[in-house]
Amino acid sequence: MKRAYIIDNITEGKNVNTVVFSTDDEIKPGQFIMAWAPGINEIPLSFSYINKIKKITVKIYGEASEYIAHLKRGDYLYYSGPYGKPFTIVPGKKLLIGAGTGIAPLIPLIDDNTYGIISGKTADDIIFERYFNNRLKIVTDDGSYGMNGYVTTALKTLDLNEFDMLYACGPEIMLKTVYDYIKNMDINAQFSLERSMKCGIGLCDSCSINGYQVCTDGPVFSIEQLKNMDEFGRTRLQYSGKRIYF
Amino acid sequence: MKVNTDIGIKLKNPFMLASGILDENGYTMERILNNGASSTVTKSIGMEERRGFDPPVIYHDENYIINAVGLSNPGIDNFEEEIKIALRSGKPVIGSIFGRDAEEFSLLARKMESYSVSAIELNLSCPHVKGYGMEVGSDPDLVSEIVSEVKSKVSIPVFSKLSPNTSDIVEEAKAAEKSDALVLINTIKAMKIDIYARKPVLSNVYGGLSGASIKPVGIRYVYEIKKELNKKIIGVGGIENINDAIEYIMAGASAVQIGSAVYKYGIGIFNKLNNDLNEFFIKNNINDIEDIIGVALK
Ligand SMILES: Cc1cc2nc3c(=O)[nH]c(=O)nc-3n(C[C@H](O)[C@H](O)[C@H](O)COP(=O)(O)OP(=O)(O)OC[C@H]3O[C@@H](n4cnc5c(N)ncnc54)[C@H](O)[C@@H]3O)c2cc1C
Ligand SMILES: Cc1cc2nc3c(=O)[nH]c(=O)nc-3n(C[C@H](O)[C@H](O)[C@H](O)COP(=O)(O)O)c2cc1C
Ligand code: FES
Repeated sequence: MKRAYIIDNITEGKNVNTVVFSTDDEIKPGQFIMAWAPGINEIPLSFSYINKIKKITVKIYGEASEYIAHLKRGDYLYYSGPYGKPFTIVPGKKLLIGAGTGIAPLIPLIDDNTYGIISGKTADDIIFERYFNNRLKIVTDDGSYGMNGYVTTALKTLDLNEFDMLYACGPEIMLKTVYDYIKNMDINAQFSLERSMKCGIGLCDSCSINGYQVCTDGPVFSIEQLKNMDEFGRTRLQYSGKRIYF
Repeated sequence: MKVNTDIGIKLKNPFMLASGILDENGYTMERILNNGASSTVTKSIGMEERRGFDPPVIYHDENYIINAVGLSNPGIDNFEEEIKIALRSGKPVIGSIFGRDAEEFSLLARKMESYSVSAIELNLSCPHVKGYGMEVGSDPDLVSEIVSEVKSKVSIPVFSKLSPNTSDIVEEAKAAEKSDALVLINTIKAMKIDIYARKPVLSNVYGGLSGASIKPVGIRYVYEIKKELNKKIIGVGGIENINDAIEYIMAGASAVQIGSAVYKYGIGIFNKLNNDLNEFFIKNNINDIEDIIGVALK
């Protein structure tokens, strides 16, 4: 178990905080840690900033995410990792597509040739707008901020052929929507998947999709890989290992 | 050169996937079976769906893993689909089961048999869940009752997986003597404290130790039981490379299972072991695996 001294805690939005710390770990965009909330749980979290200073951005769902999101200067973050296969960075024009906090692990990919789409249920879910210098579409389910609609509403306003690579992160249903929209176009894309993870090191089978482990073979998969995975966006595993439909 | 082996079922090579490591899901088992494993033992399956313990369920270091997954499993009725998927590989699947008593074990075994598994592995040895595993396995009368019951209810071979967490494993092995083979060893009860957080790491506090650090213990048990009982043995515990596997075979194992090492080397470990076994046989003038099973006892 590693530990890192917390330097700062930034409130990003409703129930979303960024925890800032410093470690020597070399992190590549898309990789994650298993963050330990002692006596509570251990959860996978990605990096939203990966220089000497590191940041993780956490949305509060339950007890463990609440504990991590509330770590303040002087506290320690306990974790293991980094784990997982990172995004493959290709030169050229990038489109980042993030739903809610799904935009967080995409932030380290930003360069001066990047465009973004951030989607959310409502205005409160939209974070990290500031990193995009207006090269960005925002879309909310209820129209309370940006366009009114879903991620495809924003995709339809762009000429996707302009982009050399699409990078997407968010709930699997949203990723499937993006995938279905582009699967018959000649477009390069990588998707970062979220599944329940108990070990993070490829032993417990709880994160598996078509025989691949999201924690070690992923979390990033190319559109080509996903074309051979019929479980994508269709079935997932519960903590018990039982397969259920989305 | 003969590397196929017989443990009551015929295996194309001695390398099996151990219970609890990437074998809860049909697609994962299928993938591993298509990549060099001669068979897979499933995650231990019980009567009901079980969530298991909350994470952290695993702590790992360079040479060991401590796990307290807590026998999470989808339950026997949900598991038929997974076995069906795994069987598309054309390789044998061995159904691991856990229960409280002989009745539960036989019911689970009959269902597994109806799902077309090739053999049953009785988990009499999980060290960290109350009322199951080791608590069942350390009662010799209960063990012999479970083994007899299950043997009388199914026509496929029955293996008993025993616990090293007992004062007298020979007695435990004798109690399980009616099984077609013994599987040695399960994990060793252990724990990890984080000295900075000043707390046990695993949510269940106690877990089971596996990986390279337990190999000498496994070798000793395989050797000792082979000497005492001359039964077929499947060796498991800390196997990471071909030398480890050969050591188990020479101690008396007819086949070996690989678990924790999958985390270090990925599922590619099975193809590597197969290649390295061939190379070892050629370099050391071995023609038949039978010639080295238990050779250290002779
Ligand atoms: C590889 C990977 C990287 C991740 N990176 C991040 C990250 O950078 N930032 C971040 O905030 N989260 C991230 N997540 C998701 C995060 O791990 C979960 O939100 C977290 O496990 C919730 O734990 P909890 O104990 O607080 O909530 P729980 O007690 O597990 O959940 C409470 C309730 O919220 C629901 N819930 C939990 N998580 C989610 C979710 N993600 N989406 C929708 N509903 C949910 C549960 O179903 C439950 O009803 C990542 C997940 C993966 C697999
Ligand atoms: C994460 C994990 C889960 C396990 N689950 C089971 C299980 O459900 N049933 C069982 O009989 N053994 C289980 N085991 C024990 C292994 O099958 C094996 O006996 C032990 O790990 C020693 O082998 P190894 O050092 O190669 O891992 C588990 C081990 C690990 C690491
Ligand atoms: S989280 Fe355990 S195998 Fe991926």
